[in-house]
Amino acid sequence: MEQFLQQLTNGLAVGSIYALIALGYTMVYGVLRLINFAHGDLFTYGAYLGMTLLTSLALPDRLGLVAGLLVLAVMVMGLVAVIGAILERAAYRPLRDSPRLSAVVSALGASIFLQNALMLVYGARYQVYPDVLPQSALEVLGLRIPILRIAVLLVSLAMMAALYLFVQKTRVGTAIRAAAIDQDAARLMGIDVNRVVLLVFVIGPALGGAAGLLVGLYYGQISFTMGWVYGMKAFTAAILGGIGNIPGAMVGGLLLGVVEALGAAYLSHSWKDALAFAVLILVLIVRPSGLLGERVAEKV
Amino acid sequence: MNRMLRTLAALALAAVGSAGAADTIKIGLMAPLTGSWASEGQEMKRNVELLAAEQNAKGGLLGKQVEVIVEDDGGDPRTASLAAQRLTTKGVVAVIGTYGSAVTEASQNIYDEAKVIQVANGSTAVRLTEKGLKYFFRTCPRDDEQGRVGAAVLEKSKARRIAILHDNSAYSKGLADEIVAILKAKKLDVVFFDALTPKEQDYSSILTKLKAVTPDVVFFTGYYPEAGLLLKQKRQMGWNVPFIGGDAINNPDLVKIAGKEAAEGFRFLSPPVPKDLDTPEAKAYVVAYQKRYAEAPSSIYGVLAGDGFRVVAKAIEGAKSTAADKVREYLTGGLKDFPGFTGRISFNGKGDRVGELYRVYQVDKAGGFVLQP
Amino acid sequence: MGRRLAVAYVAGAALLAASPLVLDAYWLDVLNNVGLYVLLALSLNVILGDAGLFNMGQAAFYAVGAYTAAVLNTRLGVPILWALPVSGLVAALFAALVARPVVHLRGDYLLIVTIGVGEIVRIALVNDPLGLTGGANGIFGIARPSLLGLRIRRPEEFLYLIWGFVAVTVVLFHRLERSRFGRALAYLREDAVAAEGSGVNTARYRLLAFALGAGWAGMAGSLYAAKMTIISPESFSFWESVLVFLMVILGGSGSIPGVILGAALVVVLPEVFRGFASARMLVFGFLMMVMMVVRPQGILPLRAPRFRVPEAPEPGAAETPR
Repeated sequence: MEQFLQQLTNGLAVGSIYALIALGYTMVYGVLRLINFAHGDLFTYGAYLGMTLLTSLALPDRLGLVAGLLVLAVMVMGLVAVIGAILERAAYRPLRDSPRLSAVVSALGASIFLQNALMLVYGARYQVYPDVLPQSALEVLGLRIPILRIAVLLVSLAMMAALYLFVQKTRVGTAIRAAAIDQDAARLMGIDVNRVVLLVFVIGPALGGAAGLLVGLYYGQISFTMGWVYGMKAFTAAILGGIGNIPGAMVGGLLLGVVEALGAAYLSHSWKDALAFAVLILVLIVRPSGLLGERVAEKV
Repeated sequence: MNRMLRTLAALALAAVGSAGAADTIKIGLMAPLTGSWASEGQEMKRNVELLAAEQNAKGGLLGKQVEVIVEDDGGDPRTASLAAQRLTTKGVVAVIGTYGSAVTEASQNIYDEAKVIQVANGSTAVRLTEKGLKYFFRTCPRDDEQGRVGAAVLEKSKARRIAILHDNSAYSKGLADEIVAILKAKKLDVVFFDALTPKEQDYSSILTKLKAVTPDVVFFTGYYPEAGLLLKQKRQMGWNVPFIGGDAINNPDLVKIAGKEAAEGFRFLSPPVPKDLDTPEAKAYVVAYQKRYAEAPSSIYGVLAGDGFRVVAKAIEGAKSTAADKVREYLTGGLKDFPGFTGRISFNGKGDRVGELYRVYQVDKAGGFVLQP
Repeated sequence: MGRRLAVAYVAGAALLAASPLVLDAYWLDVLNNVGLYVLLALSLNVILGDAGLFNMGQAAFYAVGAYTAAVLNTRLGVPILWALPVSGLVAALFAALVARPVVHLRGDYLLIVTIGVGEIVRIALVNDPLGLTGGANGIFGIARPSLLGLRIRRPEEFLYLIWGFVAVTVVLFHRLERSRFGRALAYLREDAVAAEGSGVNTARYRLLAFALGAGWAGMAGSLYAAKMTIISPESFSFWESVLVFLMVILGGSGSIPGVILGAALVVVLPEVFRGFASARMLVFGFLMMVMMVVRPQGILPLRAPRFRVPEAPEPGAAETPR
């Protein structure tokens, strides 16, 4: 029983990170029908920028732990959002009317470019986050659960809730949902679709960047290739929940995290990633619209 | 089509041009300058270039200057085979390298057919010297030796339930298999044998799984980034079972990643690190290295590459020739107890280094690696 | 194929045949690598270029072929050239099996599935199920091929073997383009709905395209195994699939000479720029983005077949047309 609960909480924490990244994929896909291969690298940028800012500005020392981390998070999310916006302008907007394949290749190219740029600046070795967070654990029901794990889960859920409210309750959020259903109709309704796209490329990357920062703080170690695995898993989560569907991405992420953790615990660990991919393929064959149903514009 | 013609013409010219050579003795270095082991490759390059410069200052080899030709093997077999081809066409008489076993393996046949002596510095897979290749040597030990030492350490620790964890890479699984085979022969209980996935961050699930089988000790045969994370996360879980590691754990970043408190008490196997090399020549060398590169050598494999260069140089001098057969004869016959930086070096008929190299290290409170007696 | 293209092929073949006289072992080996990649690119071209199916997992079929040949050779002593058609067949069957449930999927979904398949195959190779694949160590000790008593060992000997196979492939695939099968593929690539409406069984042709492309990649894999004598999972990573994908797209999707050129450039350029190791990847990524904006159809794109139209008779002239 103990193992099961521990693995469950592990899975939820990791899953919440997948969910944060998945939100970026799902929003972009919903509006543009584009798999943004470079999204995983934006996540990595969040982790690296976070590390640089943390070590050079020492915000937690200056402002206290919580305030310092908040300011840090805002800075990181802002920076990554800017990179996301530039990415959209440079790699995707010129190809808005081109066949889908061109955008895919361009996305790949952007991913390679971003990854290697990072490597050239920071070097190929692993980088380590300075130790700023408490390493203690909470005793719950006889289990030792690290406080950080709970914190990661809570922070991610808070961000997801904020996004959900934004998309459901605000005008801008409604505009995004409208553009996701039918771009031309939205345009006819007076919605500036270009602005919506830009917004999506700001919010998605910002969340991805925040996830990167969380991962860096939680695990302490980052590498410039980490975006690949997380990106793939997050994309799997988005498909699992229903691509284009925001609550779907959240559910998909958490579910994938738990399935992975339990699968690794009770089956073999070496096949963990293969399991995730198998889940992806299975979902696409059996229920391509995902668990909560996809919300993508139909192209006739 | 024109493009292809022009490229081919350029290639032809380049090929002809590279044939003419100045009067130097060319020694090649095949190293992972890019890729996942770039830091090891850079160290290898520094060591060999420093030693070549020192040799040239002493008058070179057989009256000629030594020229080091460096090629990047990228840490992968295909790039390595191209690098090897390139080196053989440049007229090298011997090659130092390389680090990864699969990478070295891809180049072995090429050097063997071209009759170029190859001295690997970091490839520990047993089978590399079991193929009967005459011109292949290595200054690094073999996985079976590490396996023996590892099993001995486990035996001495009086552990009754032993868990073995690897990462499915060729080196790591190979070492894990060696240890398990010896443990089983000694009738010791291996309660866990599985792999984690490298380059992930979250090992809490595999740690939880390990904890569930209540081992007395866990032997991890993988690399230092994963080891650091394992130590850190196991401490977060509040689990205190001792961990032991293999030689790929030997890297100062281990403590950085795990944090000093988590790393304290951790033991691992390794050839001695550069700062523990105790002969006067080794100490003098570390000083010279520090002078030239503004920092001490951090990787023992770089120093092993340096030793590889030195034995080749000695063999060329001793055989008074650069012909591969004569150099080989000297290395297997004439070279006895050569004072390498990493210890006394002799080679057996297979090209393996004779003698025990592996020692046990423990991480102390301050994060330093302390050699255990 | 057009007259100009045929002349270009013959000239290229002549240059290649003569290359051992001027090039050293290293550059000959580069040419060998180019040859293998050309085979891979041509195989993917059938799936991606001719049938329009997004496939970024070609390395999986390459791997299946290579490992089949390796296992047959090292465990059962089958000479490698006899294993060649078997590895092609095994890869083709594997592809048919895998593609069967997913061949109807929309473009980018199929892309993701093929990436997933590629990764699953790679992980399976590393985990060494049933002790067949040798795990991360891979399989070593693969025998050299021998043709009519001659053991093929040196780069120049492999040059003739590999490029000979390429020549056969090029001729075959050009015939395929103009065949009924090729026309059906082109039809379903351009407009699957119309094709289905015209009676073309799109699902069946797609499966066949997958099988053919995979089978050819499998045969290329056995040649690779013979050349390297050791194979390990690292050579069959996602990055390999991406490279082959790029060769097809950047060279000219669907166009055989374009794809050959794409393969040659993608292999040779990094060798020429060996000095700039890390920056070259950066430039590569950047080039990809630029190419899609500037010349998305590729360097040597597919040209629609041209037919001569007889001139219209002048008004008032004789009724019988010339």
